[in-house]
Amino acid sequence: MTGPSLPPVAAVTLVGALLVAGVYLVAVLDRAMGAAVAGQRDSVRGLLLTPVRRAAALLVTSPSGTERPDAPGWVIAPALLAGLAAVALATVPLGPNLMVADPATGFVLFSAAIAFVMIAVFLHGWSPNAVWPMHGAYRYGAQALSFQIPFLLAMLATALPAESLQISEIVRAQQDLWNVVRQPLGLPLYLVVGVAVSFWGPLNLPDAADLAGGTTAEAAGVTGLVWQLARAAMLVAVAAMGAAGFLGGWWGPWRPGAGWMLAKTLLLLVVLVASRHLFARVRIERFVVVCWAGLIPLALLNIFISAAWLL
Amino acid sequence: MTGWARRLAAVAPPPVFAVAGVDARHAVQDLHLLPGLRLVDAPRQASVLLLAGRLTDQLLDAAVAAHDAMPTPRGVVSWQPDGGGPPRGPFTGAELVGDADPVEVIVALHRSLHLGVRASTPTIQPDVDPAPWRGEGPYGQGGSGMTGGVPYGRPMATREDDRDGLSLDALPVPVGPLFTAFPPGMSARVTFKGDLVHRFELGPSPYDDVRREPDVFLRALTEPVAVAALEVARARALLRWTAWALRVQGLDAQAQRVLALARAATPGDEARVRRVRRWVTHPLVTGRQLRAIGRVDTDALAGLAVGPVGRAAGLIDDLRAEDPAYRELGFTPITGQAGDVAARWQQRLSEAEQALDLATRAGSLRTGGVGAIESPRGRLTADSTPTTRLWSLLPELVTGVEWGDAVATLASLDLDLDELPAPIASRDVA
Repeated sequence: MTGPSLPPVAAVTLVGALLVAGVYLVAVLDRAMGAAVAGQRDSVRGLLLTPVRRAAALLVTSPSGTERPDAPGWVIAPALLAGLAAVALATVPLGPNLMVADPATGFVLFSAAIAFVMIAVFLHGWSPNAVWPMHGAYRYGAQALSFQIPFLLAMLATALPAESLQISEIVRAQQDLWNVVRQPLGLPLYLVVGVAVSFWGPLNLPDAADLAGGTTAEAAGVTGLVWQLARAAMLVAVAAMGAAGFLGGWWGPWRPGAGWMLAKTLLLLVVLVASRHLFARVRIERFVVVCWAGLIPLALLNIFISAAWLL
Repeated sequence: MTGWARRLAAVAPPPVFAVAGVDARHAVQDLHLLPGLRLVDAPRQASVLLLAGRLTDQLLDAAVAAHDAMPTPRGVVSWQPDGGGPPRGPFTGAELVGDADPVEVIVALHRSLHLGVRASTPTIQPDVDPAPWRGEGPYGQGGSGMTGGVPYGRPMATREDDRDGLSLDALPVPVGPLFTAFPPGMSARVTFKGDLVHRFELGPSPYDDVRREPDVFLRALTEPVAVAALEVARARALLRWTAWALRVQGLDAQAQRVLALARAATPGDEARVRRVRRWVTHPLVTGRQLRAIGRVDTDALAGLAVGPVGRAAGLIDDLRAEDPAYRELGFTPITGQAGDVAARWQQRLSEAEQALDLATRAGSLRTGGVGAIESPRGRLTADSTPTTRLWSLLPELVTGVEWGDAVATLASLDLDLDELPAPIASRDVA
């Protein structure tokens, strides 16, 4: 069964507009939080305009030229990541009657988009034919293989009360009780793994400073810009799904539902973006161990608790 | 569209890749506090190459490579914060700042480059392979089978036995001297096996023929200085290290806050430093990430007198404990136990706090002039420095560990390559 969906042109326009607005918001939030933590004052004008100016600077900078790169792969990787972010966001319903795509297998589609992020990051590290990007690519391989299972399990628990893999049904099932209460472990697990999916802040291991920027060490110009935008877009998609899956989506005391959905997405976006300025980079070995020995058992426990609630 | 984008790009904060001479490292670090600039970790992300201070031939060669890796439009600025001569070699045409504030010149250069007023600097090195294809071996690349060799002068991964008997690809990679996650100036030939450091061979220091101006600790070797001045300098040095190490750990904003404190710390700021220590070393911020890595054996440190590194491992080794001036202040060395990277962070911030407390109470007490002083890195004498004594421990310390841990470990040792004597500094171990 498929829920009500927008016409194709309207759907593409809406997803594009949401991604552009979301990416801009990530850039502004990141700058504002960085200034707050650093104890520096930034003017509102600087806060709002600097991200656009930096994007323009990348836009007019020449692309990188490494020795014998995989040129098609270098172009495809950022586009693939952006496309995956768009697909992931498209599965998230904004309101009871405002859905871009609401297939009966929305959960599977979202999870597939997340799984393919590993391909995009690996391709981005492989293509420049250089040491640090390649190193970053392998790191993300280890990172992604570790977070996939806890991510799926944390998400899967949200499907149990709804008895459906359709995202709109998962939201509808939270009319009386949000999953963040019903499954107290779910949202923290989802956020930790969501930061890893978006390789952001403490889990930005593939593009880390100890690899001189990792997969982005050789990136410049438009492809470098698209990569940064796509990573921020993935963060937006993860926040939006978190709002739908755990914070009751469009449900709220007043209408419109889409307003509640956007507000909850913004709340999670603030939490995700803030992590970059608050927590040091996590060691890859520790992350792998925590995922396999800690997060998977916790995610299973979360599913058991959720199932027991339904009995 | 392009004109509109260029006008916007012209007013963006210039991304700057800095090459710092030994006398300009602090000045370059301070640029992180300026909102009008953005210091980047890789030349690919920069539009302006900043040459700061006196550059040795080795640093100049690295600067040329960094310049040619920069995308266009690009430009070069030469800055001499402590005076010094004009830019050398291929950079004689660079924008010259002298000892003035470089920000205005950098911003103006970035703007004129993007508006097309100035031309981008041309590539310096010829775009040719550093060595010919060797033409040896079954596949011609000079290695064995399909691996190894140095075709076109670039080492390929080769197969080597690992410690557990597995045969894995080993990839030798030259790192530094402009690698921002290394102590400034450090270079090494690192052989990777996956994410593990299989072999670590230290390279020469780029500071072999220049020395910075004597600071208060160097002066204290030969003449009495005020304890208060010495301890304030100690606190500032320890906080400055913390700011740099925070940046290596990816916490740029926190690094800016600590750097601002490092520049302005005065007696009476103990509470501020205490708050920084509690926040920075909190398990959720850095503590848990840095625990149980980079542990140095206490036996290996015994007698080295390497200051916070030794004291973080439980060694009570501090010249101040035997100094009458410090005894009058009731000084007792702070010591840790774990001896790992987290313990060194905790140790330095605790000592920074203690130093400001000592400075507050020191009054007119003086010390020094006896040929040895406890510097922020450990015991300093005319012919022996803490970095020199730690140097031989480094390869073993980072071999067999993951790259991220190796970087965190090297950062935690607070190495100053300017302290290396010429014989070590000019030795190419690789």
